[in-house]
Amino acid sequence: MKHWLPATSFLVGMASLISCASANDLDVIVTRASAKAAAERKIEPMPLVDDSVFLRRIYVDLIGRIPTDAEVRDFATRPAKGRREQLVEELLKDDRFSDRWTIFFADMLRLRSQASGGQALIAYVHNAVKTGMPYDELCRRLIYTNGKAGRIPEVGFILGDDADPLAMASVTSQVFLGVRIGCAQCHDHPFDVWKRRDFYDMAAFYGKTRRFESQLTKIIYATEADQTTIMWPPEGVGPAEERKPIAPRFPFPIDESKDTPGYIKRLAAVRQAKIAAIPVAKGPTVDDLLESTSDKVAKATTGKLAEELATADAKKDIRKIDVQKGLYKPSELREQLAQSVTDPRNRYFSRALVNRVWKTLIGRGFVEPVDDFRADNPAALPEALDYLADEFVASDYDLRTLVRLIVSSEAYQRAHCPTDIDEPTRVMMETQLLATPVRRMIAEAMYDSIVTAGHLFEPKHSPGKNERTIREIVRVPKGGKPGEISQPVSLAAANKGPAMMAGAGGPAMAAATGYALEDAIELDFNSILKEQGEEEVELDEMKAMSKEELEAQRMVQQRMMRSSTEYEDKIVTRVVDENPVFNSSLRMQSPAPEGHFLRIFGQPNRSDLGDLRDDSASMRQALMMLNGRVTHEAARVGDLEPMYRLLTGKAVNVEKAVQLAYMEILTRQPSSEEINDARQIIGDAATPVDGMADLRWILMNCNEFRFLP
Amino acid sequence: MLNSGCLDYRLSRRSALAAGGATLLGMSVKGLLAATGKDHAAKAEHVILFWNGGGMSHIDTWDPKPGRPTGGELAAIKTSAPGVEISEIFPTLAEQMHHCALIRSIAGTQGDHGRATHHVQTSYLPFPNLVYPGIGSVVSHELPNMGDLPAYISISGQAPRAGYLGQKCEAYYVSNPGDKDPYLAFPEGIAEVRGNKRLEALARYNQRFTGKSTDQRLKATETSIEEAVDLMRSPALEAFEFSKVSPKTVARYGNTPFGRGALLAKRLVEKGVRFVQINRGGYDTHSMNFPAMRDHGEVMDPAMASLISDLAETGMLEKTLVIMLSEFGRTPKINKDAGRDHWASVFSCFLAGGGIKGGTVIGSSDEDGAEAKDNPVKVQDIHGTICHALGIDPNKEVMTPLSRPMKLVDQGAPIAGLFA
Repeated sequence: MKHWLPATSFLVGMASLISCASANDLDVIVTRASAKAAAERKIEPMPLVDDSVFLRRIYVDLIGRIPTDAEVRDFATRPAKGRREQLVEELLKDDRFSDRWTIFFADMLRLRSQASGGQALIAYVHNAVKTGMPYDELCRRLIYTNGKAGRIPEVGFILGDDADPLAMASVTSQVFLGVRIGCAQCHDHPFDVWKRRDFYDMAAFYGKTRRFESQLTKIIYATEADQTTIMWPPEGVGPAEERKPIAPRFPFPIDESKDTPGYIKRLAAVRQAKIAAIPVAKGPTVDDLLESTSDKVAKATTGKLAEELATADAKKDIRKIDVQKGLYKPSELREQLAQSVTDPRNRYFSRALVNRVWKTLIGRGFVEPVDDFRADNPAALPEALDYLADEFVASDYDLRTLVRLIVSSEAYQRAHCPTDIDEPTRVMMETQLLATPVRRMIAEAMYDSIVTAGHLFEPKHSPGKNERTIREIVRVPKGGKPGEISQPVSLAAANKGPAMMAGAGGPAMAAATGYALEDAIELDFNSILKEQGEEEVELDEMKAMSKEELEAQRMVQQRMMRSSTEYEDKIVTRVVDENPVFNSSLRMQSPAPEGHFLRIFGQPNRSDLGDLRDDSASMRQALMMLNGRVTHEAARVGDLEPMYRLLTGKAVNVEKAVQLAYMEILTRQPSSEEINDARQIIGDAATPVDGMADLRWILMNCNEFRFLP
Repeated sequence: MLNSGCLDYRLSRRSALAAGGATLLGMSVKGLLAATGKDHAAKAEHVILFWNGGGMSHIDTWDPKPGRPTGGELAAIKTSAPGVEISEIFPTLAEQMHHCALIRSIAGTQGDHGRATHHVQTSYLPFPNLVYPGIGSVVSHELPNMGDLPAYISISGQAPRAGYLGQKCEAYYVSNPGDKDPYLAFPEGIAEVRGNKRLEALARYNQRFTGKSTDQRLKATETSIEEAVDLMRSPALEAFEFSKVSPKTVARYGNTPFGRGALLAKRLVEKGVRFVQINRGGYDTHSMNFPAMRDHGEVMDPAMASLISDLAETGMLEKTLVIMLSEFGRTPKINKDAGRDHWASVFSCFLAGGGIKGGTVIGSSDEDGAEAKDNPVKVQDIHGTICHALGIDPNKEVMTPLSRPMKLVDQGAPIAGLFA
């Protein structure tokens, strides 16, 4: 590991060298729109934030963790002009951007690892973010795709609500269009134009959609039936014999202007350019087929694909799908729906997404709650919302373009209100974008920021420095000998990667320490998508067996599950080298298990519609932070850290150590008062290394750490 | 000081009853009971809820149907309550039935695990954009805290969320009953003196940062830390740990998560905890129902019997309503895998203590346990009954964050004839 000493001089000058964003069109619109309110109340907009605040915001918002000291110093070496924009470009390309914004979509689309096909769907969405799949394309696929859970990742979206037409009508309008039309399921919407009939017309798009579960294999599919289940009038209204199946109708008005709006012309140009850039295809490879399974299936069922198949593997693949042809039947109704929802003239679609991204980056949506657009809940600064919506469409629904536009605006880079300002003025300034609201980091960013600040992504202690003996109770088959493990087991190794699930180190560690609620086991999204591709083989095997054989096989499996082995508890002792390494929480199973760090800090369970993130404080959060393992390990100083050298040996420099701690944890320099305070804390402890652990623990626990500046 | 699970809305029992004077139905608890010809002073102060997830067979537990073709292979046995028979899987509990009551006519409406669980745990059917609170959150919202421990504790699994009642009414979660909870003490290697110094400095740093800020969230973090520290320093914490409990006692309850959960629940209510929920799964017995139910009985029987007799011995049973619920029952029909499938039309629940009349059986199912026969009980009425036992008005309205008034219980009334 590289050693360095913090350069104090750069930070002194940093505040004065504000490399501010040049005003973009959004700023012009915002300034114009908020001018009246500002003038009436004689309120000036808050100034733009300095570089250290900008860095903290932009790292957390774009890649889900605070910047490291090295990254801050690297930024300082760049020419002031244009370096914020340059950094934004780099972060947009970072792998962690895809991880962080998969969380955004996971919240919005209510993705759940545990739902049918949920794991594959999360991996799919991650891939879509990574490769920059246009947002409208992603939505269309989620709405219209049929097929097997997991094998065809997109169907996980519909299966997440068991392909229930009424639920899906609510989900489609609320998630993609920001309208709570679900209120009209039981009665005409109390505060809006939506009638009960609108809801049922919308649901009718899903009326032929079915969730199918194979009795033999327990594999789940989304598929299409011939009959619709959506009838009018609804159940319980009028006599049953009057209820008739209804045809779907899209109840949302679209932009009817005669001339093609400018943003649509620009969209067309962008799409044309993209098509022109694609090299001429030479026939699909197996990989191509796996990439776009839904296209393949669509073609397979119309018979066109066979001509295109070039490889033997692909031929084999299509034969298997034919077995289940009925199950993979495409949905015409939902294709129509997908087209209507994502129609560029459907302003609801682009506004809803822009509003959610805005809320994520600014802290307050133009419309609040973010999924409740209605006539009597108008957007604050509708001009700004529409400008962003147009730009989003014109960019071919590119998330990165939208994020770039927002974070490079003055609105994003404004300081918070003075802390002692009265509530109504604060709210007014924030809604008029004269100041930014104070935001708490989302749970995942907070976890990853602690891991970053505490150097826990890599081992930070030399091997053997932290050996200790632990006693634990293990359950073993009766008569078995657990023995004594005398070789040190490296917890760093045990804690790495998905192998932890099966490996001896993982569960043992959790059991030994009782801190399983703070584990983050990273999933390999690529391998999840690949695995889905290979799983289909079982269909061939199934065909070779009769129904009775399969039944018998299932019975045997069930009996085996009721194993007759008896277990007993034994106490074992073993030596572990405690050198913990933590993974990023952005890539773990989500939502995390109940009671996990992420859940305690507001990660939603994603099963209920409109269940948004909660950033209120709780005693559980306090206990997790005060006594938890992540904070404790992050606070400890490892001998492989740069910090160690400033606290031990000949080159001890407590002042520099304190400056480094502030930079690593709070992304800023301490005041002289803070340095004195910190000196006292460090001087009070048994050793400077212990004292620094105390200081770091305090800084990570304080409000300044979790609330973004 | 941690005074209440729900500091903001604290209400004494008396004022809760007074507030009940004005409800949508225009009838308070008192009024409702007067209408059924009973009046009753609330006796219960605590609830222990056993949540048996998966849909526990009613026929193989509380409502045996001996001699019927669908009765299955488990026999009915006599109990200490004259005329009340339960399944043979509860031989020890049978001796405590004179303290207990059964409801055999719950007429459920939901046959899907998710929806039924939601219904039985919250009294409401799921609805988009509203997160309904579980009954434990309702209780901790309505009753003032007793002692230092959190008002609402969930053992071995997930309790429903607090929804619109807010974070403060969420359950405190105990994953391994009887084990030391690492989050209730400083991390290993941090001595008391050092930990306390850290806390002092942290309070100073936070105060400096919050300053004169009007942002309530900053102050809320500080308050949450104060609450956490109060809990960490409370002598009542010893209830969580079994290191000083005699192994004999643990063995009497059964050294299983369920048994330890029941023992922990007893120790917690003794320290003033208002609502304890013990979660257990594995009741979704689509195949091999009978051996599975025998296994469940082996775990449940000693735990329940020990809990009831221990609470009765110390007089705590009078103040503690014990209730065992599941999201639905199971089909009378035994399927080809020797299992029973989901059945919501009628199922049962078990109660004890909290002022109920021991040995009572409310309602009945038909001869096969397929439909409710006498005195059908709505799922919401169970919630009405729990509220009633505690002196909470089930019709009281609370406001959601979006200012929508919601009743504590969705149209549930106390079950007549259950209370002494």
